[in-house]
Amino acid sequence: MTSRLKSGLLLLGVAVVLAPGTISAGSYKWVDEKGNVTYSDRPPQSADSPATAPAEVVPLNLKNLEVVKPAPPVQEQDYKKYLPPAVVPRSGPTRVDDLLELTGVRAHLVGLARGIAKELRPAPGIMNAKDQASIDRVLAKSLRPEALYGLMREAFIPQIDRTNLEATAAWLRSPLGRRITMLEVATVDPSFEQKVADYNEEIKANRLSDRRVELIWRLDWVMGSSDSSADLYATLSRGVTKAVSAAGPPERRLRPGQIDEQVAEIRARVSKPLSAVHHEATRYAYRDLSDDELTAYVVFASSDAGRWYHNAMHKAMISAVGRTVEQTAVELVRAVPVERWARAAQPAPQAVR
Amino acid sequence: MMTTDALKPLAAAFVLTLCAALAATAQEGRSPAAPVSDVDRAVAAFRAGRHAEALAAARRAADASPTAVRALTTRASIAEFMGEFDEARTFYDKAAALTPDDPGLIYRQASYALRVGEYDRALAQLDRLLALHPRQVRWLFQYAPTRLQAQLLRENPSLEHIVQIKIDILMEKGDLAQARRLAQGYAIVQPGQDYCGQARAVMAGRNREDVFKAFRLATLGQPDAADCIWWYGQWLSDEGYVLLGRVMVIEGSRVTPSAANKESGARYVRIRLGGNRDVPKRAEQLFLIARQRYLRDGDLEGAQRLFDECIRLAPGFARPYNYRALMAAELGDREAAIAWFQKGLKADNDSWRTHRNLGKLLAEMERYPEAEMHLRKTVELFGDDAGGHLALARVLYAEGKYDEFLKEATAAVTFLNAKTQIVDVREFLSKFDRWGPGAALPPAPDPNVIIGWNYD
Repeated sequence: MTSRLKSGLLLLGVAVVLAPGTISAGSYKWVDEKGNVTYSDRPPQSADSPATAPAEVVPLNLKNLEVVKPAPPVQEQDYKKYLPPAVVPRSGPTRVDDLLELTGVRAHLVGLARGIAKELRPAPGIMNAKDQASIDRVLAKSLRPEALYGLMREAFIPQIDRTNLEATAAWLRSPLGRRITMLEVATVDPSFEQKVADYNEEIKANRLSDRRVELIWRLDWVMGSSDSSADLYATLSRGVTKAVSAAGPPERRLRPGQIDEQVAEIRARVSKPLSAVHHEATRYAYRDLSDDELTAYVVFASSDAGRWYHNAMHKAMISAVGRTVEQTAVELVRAVPVERWARAAQPAPQAVR
Repeated sequence: MMTTDALKPLAAAFVLTLCAALAATAQEGRSPAAPVSDVDRAVAAFRAGRHAEALAAARRAADASPTAVRALTTRASIAEFMGEFDEARTFYDKAAALTPDDPGLIYRQASYALRVGEYDRALAQLDRLLALHPRQVRWLFQYAPTRLQAQLLRENPSLEHIVQIKIDILMEKGDLAQARRLAQGYAIVQPGQDYCGQARAVMAGRNREDVFKAFRLATLGQPDAADCIWWYGQWLSDEGYVLLGRVMVIEGSRVTPSAANKESGARYVRIRLGGNRDVPKRAEQLFLIARQRYLRDGDLEGAQRLFDECIRLAPGFARPYNYRALMAAELGDREAAIAWFQKGLKADNDSWRTHRNLGKLLAEMERYPEAEMHLRKTVELFGDDAGGHLALARVLYAEGKYDEFLKEATAAVTFLNAKTQIVDVREFLSKFDRWGPGAALPPAPDPNVIIGWNYD
């Protein structure tokens, strides 16, 4: 579960769905009378139609700014307090919570909540202080790792397969399994991205072996991690789109099928870049594992238990994130109307000399 | 030219109607002042693509001034465009009662009758139109030799309209021999011309109207050009003109000397065009317009009503069931969508598209065994369906049937290899070959590659 969310890529998607009337390059879509779908950087109707006219950019007036007490920082919890236990006592069958503890999922959810909040929060200075505070309050309240964990656990339970669960627990309890879990948990650290970038520079001079590269791609293949990242991205887009669409004017509301199409298109567009980002992150995350250790991980991931585990975790996470993001987005557009989000997404006017 | 009215983009027909309406305005004389503003509003809204608004304005105009020919004709034209056929007929008739000898209006009535399959009525209108011409012109039209007809039709475009509509009627009724005689007799087609070659050249340009015209001429001018006639039929099928498409594919299959092509044509008619199931022309046209109202206008309510009417008129016609299913899916009701697909299969169990759509929906819902059944049927009906093979391959992979997955995916890639880029599928197969099954499902793109199999 290495760094499933990467900032920057998500920002674009969220901006797109939060401001459907101000979509930038390549983001307009329409269906002609034969059902052909067209994507373009221009809308099909006239440029001055109400649906596409840029909203007026409201100049910042410092005198009018209200003094608002800043909201507490969102999700600045320390993931380290959720590290998996060194030893989970065994007495009888492994419980679901034991397994989830072993996976380090709680720590991952801290990072996930932080990543989602980062993507949903507008950049500093583009919202007025009051709206910004409202947004921060909603994010702090809605994106709690504990709540995400509850939803994920709920979605995980129906997928339990006792044999595979025990085999997975055995792997996670093994020294190598635990070591790998700790390496994956370390990806949650806020400094991880920078470390990945530094490492990329480092290996430019000292290339990885072909076997190593092959192992990393193969691990991605058997675990489906890149695909999971794309699914997560799509889930985020879907949640935001649904909320924004429902809050918008009736004539611009999207039908479920239209949302699905839009999300599928976004997913297809981000799939390759996400895969590349994921590959870089994986190279760094497992840098301390030997090729043999990485091979052992590939073998586990390819086993029935490994497949079951990654598939079940993926589905549970998608479910939890989907429900959470949709609810959060609903509250965000309730706290700050859609028009103000759209206006904030407009580029600032250039100063005239 | 009003040559292939039934096949032209409907907007073009509407412009012609407006010309007729404007001409009628000049004749109104004693009629009360027309509600110019609402008619103008209707026309402007129509031109801007706001069709529902256009019809509403036209209705207001006609209701406010029931003796204003322009208002009545505008309402009739827009109603026809929107598939409100009874309303269109009522208002054409009302307008005709006020100006019985208006050639433009008579032409519209003939064209309307052709659209809804009332051929005798259309011919009667054409006779009326002809009767409005000077006696000498009528005599020449009926008796002059072919070499003089071209000039006569050039000088009297309304005569050409008459000929072309008559040709359309004969073609739709399946009497191609008579249609060809008429076309030759009026010099619409000339001997020795390579119309088929021209049609192929035009097809590369992808201008729909030009393609229609070119293939139509090829069909009329080169009776032995089996491939060309067949392509015309398949092209028409993609455009939604099921009845004429059926005539052309059957004719192409009859003319071809190849036994394999004959078999292929018969299969095409069976799995793409509903075999010999009765589809009245009116139902076909309602379907076409309903599709446009749904896809182009996003008018779900209007489209749904027309699809339902189409199903009532042609219960064995699978295409409207498919659209009702797609609409249900788009509204988020997948169970209702499945029920519509199943109704479609009950109406026509050989409908390749219905099996395909149902299989893909079931796959999305992770109901893999059912999806497999319908997708297997899909590729059994049409073995060259690369997108169908890929969809089936994805389902087989999800079921862990990796050997069968490989067979289906490889078949599709082999077929598509020379035609289009399917990099993702090839990459997936390469990884599968190296590392065995992975966690993610294989991509299943659906490239449009063969004329006649792309749209319903």
